[in-house]
Amino acid sequence: MRYASHARENPYRSMMIVTIAAFLILVAKLVELQILKGDYYRELSSRNHIRSVFRPAARGLITDRYGVVLADNYPSFTVSLVSVEFDTANTDLLGNLLQIDPLVLSERLAAAESNPYRSTQLVNGLSVEDAGRIADNLYRLGGVSVDVQPRRRYPYGSTFCHLVGYVGLTDSTGVFEGEITGRTGLERILNPALSGKHGVVREVVDAHGRVVERFQGSEVEPVPGESVRLTVDTRLQLAADSLIASTGNPGAAVVLNYETGEILTLSSVPGFDTNLFIGGISAENWSNILNNPSKPLLNRSWANAVPPGSVFKIVSAAWLLESGIVNESTMPDPCYGVFYLGGSRFKCWTSHGRISIVSALAQSCDTYFYRTSMQGDLDDMAEFARGFGLGAPVTDILPGEASGTLPTRELLNQLYGQGGWGLGNLMIASIGQGEVLATPLQIAVTSAIIASGGDMPGLLLVYGDAPSDRTWNTDLSEATLGIVRQGMLRAVTSPSGTLYSALGSLPVTVYGKSGTAENSSGEDHAWITGYLTEPEPLAFAVFIENGGHGGAIAGPVAAGLILKIVELYHED
Amino acid sequence: MKINERTDWLFLISLFLLLVSGLFCIYSASGTQKSLFTHQVLFVLAGILLFMAASSFPLRIIEESVPAVYGVTLILLVLTILFGGGPAGRWLQLGPLNIQASEIAKFCVIVLTARWLPALKKKSVSGGVTPYLLSVGLLVALTLLQPDLGTAAAIVMIIFGMIYWAGFGFNWIFLFLSPLFAALSSMNYIAWLIFMAILCTILYRSGARPRRWVFFLIMTSVIAAVTPSTWGLLHPYQQARLTTFLNPEADPFGAGWNVIQSKVAVGAGGITGQGFLRGSQNELAFLPARHTDFVFSVWAEEWGFAGGVFLLFMYAVLAWRMFSGARRSLNPFNSMVGAGTAVFIVIHVIVNVGMTLGIMPVTGLPLPLITYGGSHLLVEMLLLGLSYNVILNWRSY
Repeated sequence: MRYASHARENPYRSMMIVTIAAFLILVAKLVELQILKGDYYRELSSRNHIRSVFRPAARGLITDRYGVVLADNYPSFTVSLVSVEFDTANTDLLGNLLQIDPLVLSERLAAAESNPYRSTQLVNGLSVEDAGRIADNLYRLGGVSVDVQPRRRYPYGSTFCHLVGYVGLTDSTGVFEGEITGRTGLERILNPALSGKHGVVREVVDAHGRVVERFQGSEVEPVPGESVRLTVDTRLQLAADSLIASTGNPGAAVVLNYETGEILTLSSVPGFDTNLFIGGISAENWSNILNNPSKPLLNRSWANAVPPGSVFKIVSAAWLLESGIVNESTMPDPCYGVFYLGGSRFKCWTSHGRISIVSALAQSCDTYFYRTSMQGDLDDMAEFARGFGLGAPVTDILPGEASGTLPTRELLNQLYGQGGWGLGNLMIASIGQGEVLATPLQIAVTSAIIASGGDMPGLLLVYGDAPSDRTWNTDLSEATLGIVRQGMLRAVTSPSGTLYSALGSLPVTVYGKSGTAENSSGEDHAWITGYLTEPEPLAFAVFIENGGHGGAIAGPVAAGLILKIVELYHED
Repeated sequence: MKINERTDWLFLISLFLLLVSGLFCIYSASGTQKSLFTHQVLFVLAGILLFMAASSFPLRIIEESVPAVYGVTLILLVLTILFGGGPAGRWLQLGPLNIQASEIAKFCVIVLTARWLPALKKKSVSGGVTPYLLSVGLLVALTLLQPDLGTAAAIVMIIFGMIYWAGFGFNWIFLFLSPLFAALSSMNYIAWLIFMAILCTILYRSGARPRRWVFFLIMTSVIAAVTPSTWGLLHPYQQARLTTFLNPEADPFGAGWNVIQSKVAVGAGGITGQGFLRGSQNELAFLPARHTDFVFSVWAEEWGFAGGVFLLFMYAVLAWRMFSGARRSLNPFNSMVGAGTAVFIVIHVIVNVGMTLGIMPVTGLPLPLITYGGSHLLVEMLLLGLSYNVILNWRSY
């Protein structure tokens, strides 16, 4: 018996019917293309005048935590040219209408000729009036077209210049002329989400380059980019900027919420106006930014690691306590304002006498740390400091985040050779000098770890993203945390504390630590870090480059920032 | 292969004409790279030898070595995923040879289905349909991971053709396809209701036992519930990446453009064509992938409507001879191989030619016997050889 006749239905017949029907559909399509529309396609193929016009997608918005717009788009007009369809006799007319230098125009026309069938942008960023003038004369200008494109705008250009960054034209590998991409900052990092997907229209054009029809069924609508909401608070960032600017020095300020890991402020002063970069920055503006002695391109809040000085004592104090070298009641030999080891002289900024670790933190006694840290181990301290977010980036999203440095045997051997360094390197590392380098963001994280006991989640900058991986120690003992917190509180509340005059009279409880960091670039760097429990669980760091004594210059900035926090968050 | 009174001249002549037309196409499409043509001539000669061998090889041995074929295919697919190269990462380099494992998967799935389905029909297999579904599912999944959505889809269609041939009827095909339908219909409330109504009707009419009701209802509901939320969790650019990953040809800026140029080329061919080596779209290199995916448009531009219909007619004759040979065959395995090969050829022609005419999605499926390349040509010649064997030896059981 034939196998196939087992079937309930007759598979042979249905298979043949389906096959023939499908083939007849193909034949019908051949009839349509080759017989009914044959002449049309033959005409098209003889000239191949199908033109692709790309339609850029609207880039996603960037807003702060409250929806304040940090980057958006507005319509801007461009004039483009398809070279093969342009009659060069019209060059003067086009030049007059565009009001550009004939030399510049001929240069751009030559550039357009290198890609004769594609639309090449001649001028962009035109106002409605200028674009209108061209549009009125399009009938005389074959091959020229006026398009509207979304153009990027940064309402707080200089405030968020490092964080948000800016867009620019893509390199020559771009899909179409005038395509933009994120060049720096989050515009670059988040480009895949922000940029969306461009659309395209295929047009059939006549010999004069005028659009005869759109090629049916081939349009691709642009997909707008996604909008991104950041955790930053524009009001706080603006306040931080102006507070730092009022010192006359460059600097940085960071504020983060140690219960949620959200970053509220990443201020770096001075900045530059990112709007200048859109569509290409002028040579004059660029050289102004480049030659500014306070280096506005340098991002001081997370991309520049500097000596932290005494703010590092938060970390070394925790290390001394956790490794059992000292306890709350340990009183090493007194501080006489200077300490000798071998032939070397290590100074303290005043004579503190015989004090405990709480006072050593509050009064920032270097000698206490010299005398105690020399009983510890260099690699051990570096490893411990790593648990405070130092020595490695603390986020995985910020572009160009500096790692900072922690001295280890390996590093010192590299720098000075075996035996070229000694106990002194450990001693000065314990007060945040020597090889220790950190960013203001990392210093704010150290305070946040003390405040939260290491429970702070990974840092968050973009809502909807996964937080960055936590790099820090989460099992510090309650005793250690209590002592360090006490030291930071006494620095502010005790009349002998280093921050008493700067922060002592604020309406909220502040835990703080000042720092005055010697460095190779001149005057000492001024530092303050600390945290608040009310009105919000916020940790902060203020850094004033070459600002001299920590409390004196950074103090008013920190005080102003805390007052702003109280004002902004008191009610919410 | 003995030439005697049983020789199926229609089959052999249409096969021969298709191979020769293919060489014309490749010669024309290879432009200045005439080495492509030389390679293709060698592939065709190798294919003819393979065809002759397969047409006289005992089919019973093929049937018995299905497990071995399956094992080798799995290994090749996995190796390609791990070490694959080439433009889409689908080629496996073995010494001087570039093998496309997904082509071999097509052969494997045909002989695998041919061996298991007739046995299943008799309900004498322990474990029922599950082992077969799992082994075929693994093949399809590995093909998807090549990544090769087009081939995976073609394999699924071939399987359904063969299920139908085995006499399972449309109900079975619907039940097999129900996970896919559930996922697709879940995007629209009304579509999902319609799907569920059809599913219940079919389960009721086929007199399904409670266990089967529960299985299908739960399985499709879970799939329908999970699909939209999973898809919605992805960012649009991630969705785009996923679809581009599975089907690289779907890029509207690359492939969409290709289809337009292909339609222009086909249309410009007119009734009689522009003549051999005179197709301007092809010769001026406007046509993309013209010796591979879009080879039909080269042919249609040069030989016009007459040439296009001629090719389709040859394919139809080939399919007809195979279907009728499969119908006559007394041996279930042989019959399934013949029908599976016919379905294979028909689906490839529809998808590939449909793509060049702009009525099918853009995939990398080759035009059988014509598209440049050794892997698919040898697999096709092997399958056609077996089919011819089935036609000659229909009496054997």
